[in-house]
Amino acid sequence: MLRVLSHLGLCLACLIVLLPILWVLRTSLVPESLSYSTSILPAVTFENYASLFADNRFGTNYMNSIIVAAGSVILAMPLAAPTGYAFARFRTSGRAGRFAVLATQMLPPVALALPIFMLYRSLGLTNSLFGLTLVYTAINLPFLTWILMGFFEAVPRDLEGAAMTDGATAFGAFVRVVLPVAAPGIAAAAVLGFIISWNEFLFALILGGPRTATVPVALAALQTSNGVEISKVSAGVSLAILPLMLASRFIQKYLVQGLSFGSVK
Amino acid sequence: MASITLENVSKDYGSGVVGVRDMNLTIEDGEFMIFLGPSGCGKSTTLRMIAGLEDISTGRLRIGERDVTRAAPRERNVAVVFQSYALYPHMSVRQNMEFGLKMRGMAPADRAARIEAAADILGLQPYLNRRPAALSGGQRQRVALGRAMVREPDVFLMDEPLSNLDAKLRAEMRLELIKLHRRLGRTTVFVTHDQVEAMTMGDRICIMRDGNLVQVGKPLEVYANPVDTFVAQFLASPQMNLVEARLNGNAGAIELTSDILSFTLPRFLHAAFAKALGRAVIFGLRPEDIHAEPRPGAVPFEASVVAIEALGMENIAILALDQSGKRELSARLGRDFSASIGDRLTFYADVARMHLFDAETTRAFPRGRME
Ligand SMILES: Nc1ncnc2c1ncn2[C@@H]1O[C@H](COP(=O)(O)OP(=O)(O)OP(=O)(O)O)[C@@H](O)[C@H]1O
Ligand SMILES: [Mg+2]
Repeated sequence: MLRVLSHLGLCLACLIVLLPILWVLRTSLVPESLSYSTSILPAVTFENYASLFADNRFGTNYMNSIIVAAGSVILAMPLAAPTGYAFARFRTSGRAGRFAVLATQMLPPVALALPIFMLYRSLGLTNSLFGLTLVYTAINLPFLTWILMGFFEAVPRDLEGAAMTDGATAFGAFVRVVLPVAAPGIAAAAVLGFIISWNEFLFALILGGPRTATVPVALAALQTSNGVEISKVSAGVSLAILPLMLASRFIQKYLVQGLSFGSVK
Repeated sequence: MASITLENVSKDYGSGVVGVRDMNLTIEDGEFMIFLGPSGCGKSTTLRMIAGLEDISTGRLRIGERDVTRAAPRERNVAVVFQSYALYPHMSVRQNMEFGLKMRGMAPADRAARIEAAADILGLQPYLNRRPAALSGGQRQRVALGRAMVREPDVFLMDEPLSNLDAKLRAEMRLELIKLHRRLGRTTVFVTHDQVEAMTMGDRICIMRDGNLVQVGKPLEVYANPVDTFVAQFLASPQMNLVEARLNGNAGAIELTSDILSFTLPRFLHAAFAKALGRAVIFGLRPEDIHAEPRPGAVPFEASVVAIEALGMENIAILALDQSGKRELSARLGRDFSASIGDRLTFYADVARMHLFDAETTRAFPRGRME
């Protein structure tokens, strides 16, 4: 009985959290003219999605987002992994270094926006996906370093000792043993980095132009000219959260299997 | 040739933690050396310094003729069995054993042959394709041993490699390791807490305490002549009985007095213990030197039986000498000994086998060979 009650309670709580998202999904499937209707599903159409791609170049926006988000992770990870490892294992730059990594996360992005814009304009990097990817790489680097540091600290030191007495160099031990053992953590960190870049709005708006607009910028643009096309916005939002939902499943799967299970007593 | 020489080796972990202090030790080529000591005394630290996994703060380390004080682990050709096993979790048992051979560029056929042989000895055949996570603690420990064995290195460094095995497997592995050592003749350092392993496996024992080397020697020599009360108590179970006492008299007749036992020292010990005359001393007697039957030269004393641990092959009796029950001795008596708790009986102390320590420094007055 208690179980049933507690499950009912939990379902209710879930519904409260999920309702706005479900409503967005519902609105995306409803014709614009009926979008503010109070009935649950007055009609079903894929018109909004189609128009998004046909009239608004949403396909390009989506591709842009994937390129800059994936690109920034791909660029940042090979730097973040050894850096995080160095912080975790050696006394590299001590407390000050660790704090510096953390401090970058405390800076409000707006403080960086203007200097970076000036810099980019003189370098001719505005309006380019590559430029945006670089900014996201810079944003991701300290974040990934910090997360990976935690994962590397959880890898037992003796594993490297074993690899090094087995004939590996310190770097070899890192590549052949530490990295594979920390792989679930690295995958999870990569997904988090991807999400951060995916959702980023400010830099994408300032540094980009129509050609390089990412999904958040495109969604914002839908709300301007002739009012808010709420059904279309809903369709865009639904598509925008799709990768996030996939990603969170993925993170869950990898984070639950402990890092070094089975290597030690 | 791979002897191991530590010259004034110290490990300072910083902020006042000293792992090992000024250690001098030579482990001969092909020798099986046991490291024994209480938890935290620096056994693992010493092992890790020999392996190159821990920087040596001061001092020098040589393996064979080479000074390896600053050499990388892979340049030392040592194999380590870690206290924590440290198996590669992302590799199968076979790959775990293969890793070191691969890193050294051994041909695949030779690798397979080595792994087969080791897996046979260790009973790991059925598990070769499993990941460590799917093994029991004892199986993991055997994989850790196998990974070191297949390497056939110059030096084996084993940190309590049998600690997680059940009694039967432990006895078997003990024999296997001794056989392996005979066959390969590689210098081996073996850390243990186990009395039996310490006494039976090694050519020599090195006893450590608080980062200091206390005594090195052949097992029976150390047992017969512990340098201080710490070694006397540590290297045996049950521990040596220690009783505060005084030595009085003259070179002609030395009298030992304590509130438990007073007797005249056997003549042949006079020379060894004359230095202790008039001093506060600690009298030591091993449990096996207390008997339930009279024997020549043994000193009788009365005591009550407080507890008996019947082990089948022998009986360990805890004896109380006075009513308070504070002064307790343990006695290792034959399998036929029988008594009830509370019985007051006469026991016999074979004082010819006594040990004597300075009460102030706890150092032994060396008594020479046991007759
Ligand atoms: N990385 C480290 N940093 C600081 N102190 C350490 C470190 N490793 C070991 N120590 C300290 O050095 C001393 C010796 O440790 P060590 O691991 O060598 O003990 P041990 O003899 O192997 O003990 P056990 O039998 O419990 O394994 C201990 O006091 C320990 O706390
Ligand atoms: Mg240890």
